[in-house]
Amino acid sequence: MSVWVYGEQKSELGLEGTITRKIEEDLYEVFIGPQHPGSGHMRIIIRIDGDIIVEADPDMGYVHRTMEKLAEGREWIKNVPLFERMAIQDACNVTVSYIIALERILDIEPPPRAKYLRTLLCEINRIAAHLYGFGIFGVFIGHSTMYMWSFADREVMVELAERLTGARLTHSYPIPGGARKDIPQDFPQAARKAVRYFRRRLEEYRKIFLDNPVTRKRLEGVGIIPKKIAAELGVVGPVARASGIKYDARLAEPYDAYDEVEFEVPVFEEGDALARAWVKFEEIKQSLRIIEQAVDWLERHPREAPIHDRFWAKSPPLWKKVFEAEGRVKLLPLMANMKLPPGRAMARSETARGEIIYYVESDGKSTPYRVRIVSPSARNAIVFKYIAPGYKVMDLPTIYGSIDYFPPEADR
Amino acid sequence: MPARPVVKRLPARRGLFAGFKGNVDAITIGLKYLVDPKRITLIYPNEYIKLDPGYRGFIVLEPKKCINCSSCARICPAAAMRMIRRMEEDPKTGKKKMKLWPVINYQRCIFCGYCVDVCPTEALYTVPYHDIVYENMAEMDWGLETFVKPPEYPTAKEGIPVKYIVDEEKGLVKVRAEEGEEE
Amino acid sequence: MAGIIDLILSIIFYPPIYQLVLVGLTGSLVVVIFIIWFERKATARVQRRLGPYHIAPRLAGLPQLVADLIRYAFQEVIIPRTADRELFVLAPIVATVLSILPIAVVPLTSNPAYWPIPMDYSILVALALTTVSPIFLIVAGWASNNKFSIIGGVREAFVITAYEMIAIMSILSASAAVLTFNLVEIVEAQRIWYILLNPIAFLAAFLSVLMATSGFPFEIPESENEVVAGPFTEYSGLLYGLNMGAAYMKRFAFSILMVLVFLGGWSPYTPGEGILSGYLIPSLIVVAKAAILMMIFSLTRSIYGRFRLDQALEGAWRLVFPMAVLGFGLALLEAYLGVM
Ligand code: SF4
Ligand code: SF4
Repeated sequence: MSVWVYGEQKSELGLEGTITRKIEEDLYEVFIGPQHPGSGHMRIIIRIDGDIIVEADPDMGYVHRTMEKLAEGREWIKNVPLFERMAIQDACNVTVSYIIALERILDIEPPPRAKYLRTLLCEINRIAAHLYGFGIFGVFIGHSTMYMWSFADREVMVELAERLTGARLTHSYPIPGGARKDIPQDFPQAARKAVRYFRRRLEEYRKIFLDNPVTRKRLEGVGIIPKKIAAELGVVGPVARASGIKYDARLAEPYDAYDEVEFEVPVFEEGDALARAWVKFEEIKQSLRIIEQAVDWLERHPREAPIHDRFWAKSPPLWKKVFEAEGRVKLLPLMANMKLPPGRAMARSETARGEIIYYVESDGKSTPYRVRIVSPSARNAIVFKYIAPGYKVMDLPTIYGSIDYFPPEADR
Repeated sequence: MPARPVVKRLPARRGLFAGFKGNVDAITIGLKYLVDPKRITLIYPNEYIKLDPGYRGFIVLEPKKCINCSSCARICPAAAMRMIRRMEEDPKTGKKKMKLWPVINYQRCIFCGYCVDVCPTEALYTVPYHDIVYENMAEMDWGLETFVKPPEYPTAKEGIPVKYIVDEEKGLVKVRAEEGEEE
Repeated sequence: MAGIIDLILSIIFYPPIYQLVLVGLTGSLVVVIFIIWFERKATARVQRRLGPYHIAPRLAGLPQLVADLIRYAFQEVIIPRTADRELFVLAPIVATVLSILPIAVVPLTSNPAYWPIPMDYSILVALALTTVSPIFLIVAGWASNNKFSIIGGVREAFVITAYEMIAIMSILSASAAVLTFNLVEIVEAQRIWYILLNPIAFLAAFLSVLMATSGFPFEIPESENEVVAGPFTEYSGLLYGLNMGAAYMKRFAFSILMVLVFLGGWSPYTPGEGILSGYLIPSLIVVAKAAILMMIFSLTRSIYGRFRLDQALEGAWRLVFPMAVLGFGLALLEAYLGVM
């Protein structure tokens, strides 16, 4: 394909800058986004022939916030609230691997109670994020009931998270060596009720949305990513698992308590939008199982500070008093500008949208030398370019919603 | 390893009657909720959520406990907490001395609660509300005078306090929070 | 004095004026306001929220739509520089007026004194008039000169080709069963409501009306996730309100037609002499039935998403069209057996 610069073929001049391609005569170029009800903070430039997309160009970066660079100027622990803002409905999942990387550099292992607490919050977040995804998906294909329902039910999970951490969304929960708060006394009961409620509710979701003939028709066979292509494009998370790739960071490299709890990783082989919706649906069920197990474990074991001894053993008596009274783990003032030993570490965790990878490098200062984030949405965005062509214009929201693309996370 | 991948299949649906059943199911569910909506709406200004005491809301300073150590300002990730200098008379010796006091800027605060957790004397505490409206940005930058007392919570004067409790049937149920419960 | 009242009454109840202005314009406005409120409320109930509320909590937010209307009326109407001015303004107005035109030609009573037109071929005239207004949606889309509008307009054109045939076939099946084009005779012939005798035709007509008026799951031309607001993307203020209202008015016109054909018209009431019992009461019965029918139409919004364009067309031609043909066949069979 020849490269056209401002309508003329100037590629041999080596001009760089705005490169525009001449549009074929009978193609219609439509800009979906960034100010469009059917796009997020992104733009998809599609060229359509009749009703068929022949070319799709995801144009990302509208909410780029230079997170990696910002991180280099902040002390280690202060980056947690920053990275949370990639995907606030999924706050614990996206930050836990950063914390794990720090723990690897520090060479400490959090106590089991902290691991279970983090796992608990991660799964609460996963359900909340999947419901959020379902909501957006629902409204993308015109199903407003699904939108309202899943946002209403997400509230249950947000409520649980609030009781656990004290904040509805940006929990800033994991800290190097542990977690910041223990569960309140009445939490296990509330969590079990919520789990039972969700089990019943998911059945209703299935009836009105997934098995609704209109929805089913709309999703079936749309945006098929064959297994081989999925592997080549490097998609992650539910998108990969819907294409039959048995990959999940919790499976490949169990972090926190994931090697102790029992759960399944649902994999579908169809690779279409419906399969992706079902993966998320089944994952919610598995997350409920994990929540149950984590709550059971936490109830069975004695309450002790969920933090590594290094930050707890030498702490003053007030620390212990506050923990007894409120379950709050107080931080040592040295946390603020703690210096990490020089070293590098990598860690990954499975967020609701897929695997997130942190590469953290320390040169012995109180701020990171480099933090590299590979976020799942950034890896999944490529689907637009290679999968969308060939489908109808009305399939674009279906594909968008089914890969659950989340611009703030992709742009970082 | 307990976690394992499980290959599942999409539920098959072939034939005329599958579509028929799907439609009937969907319509039945819709009608069920039409008859019994199970609403969870909070009618906001008229009702407000009385949050649990553990909620990370607005932060207040207890100056008696504060040892002017600046830890809170150092750990604040949003640079909302900062230390200001003040000439103060030492009550014992009567000498004038420069002292550092934390103040908070709510334009910047993200309610992460690090400052509360890091304070070595528990001189900071959170109040369980955060929906306070200010008329201008300058008001949100609290001075020391404002910082030492809990902010006024106007919503509480007008609305009915409610609480959401997790319920097995309805997900969340709105119940009236008892008046005069623990503050 | 009495003479003046009589004169006023006779003017008001002069059938064309009564049906076009009172039932068609005022009546449909009231019904549409009520239906949109009902739709929002019912959808809100299914979706576990409140819906319109704060404007009048005692009335469950009923005046919300009036408030919306007032807002639309005072909003600035922005006409884009690139749009085709005259058509841009005219299209929604004409579409709205034309969409209530079918009401002006249907009988709302069996009393011949109050027929707006001779009734011999009234079902054909009414059906013909329903087919006029959609073209102006396409015109609106075209005149806006915006990519989304044009795509929306083209989609509208596709949908028209799908539903028109079905609507006409299924509604005409009644006249096949009764062997007349006279709507009054069709209504009178329904000792049992025709919906019970021919549910297939009713279902086909129901679906086609949903398609004609962009009801879910066929809300395709305005599907906001691809084409923003379809043909109405560039519209604002009152013109946008008109565009939106036109779909509901059209649904009202179709509902009246369906009430006459399938739901027994003014039965169980037998119109007598005089304005009151001969015209007002039967027409109110018809309007009330149409409103109930429209309430059922509104429920689909909370249950279904939307079909893809090609799926809607496929469904229409592969499933609903045969259904309409089957209904027509059933009607012929019933006519042969003399059921009606
Ligand atoms: S809550 Fe967080 S952002 Fe706010 S002042 Fe404290 S440390 Fe700073
Ligand atoms: S950390 Fe606590 S004691 Fe230290 S300055 Fe802040 S409020 Fe005062």
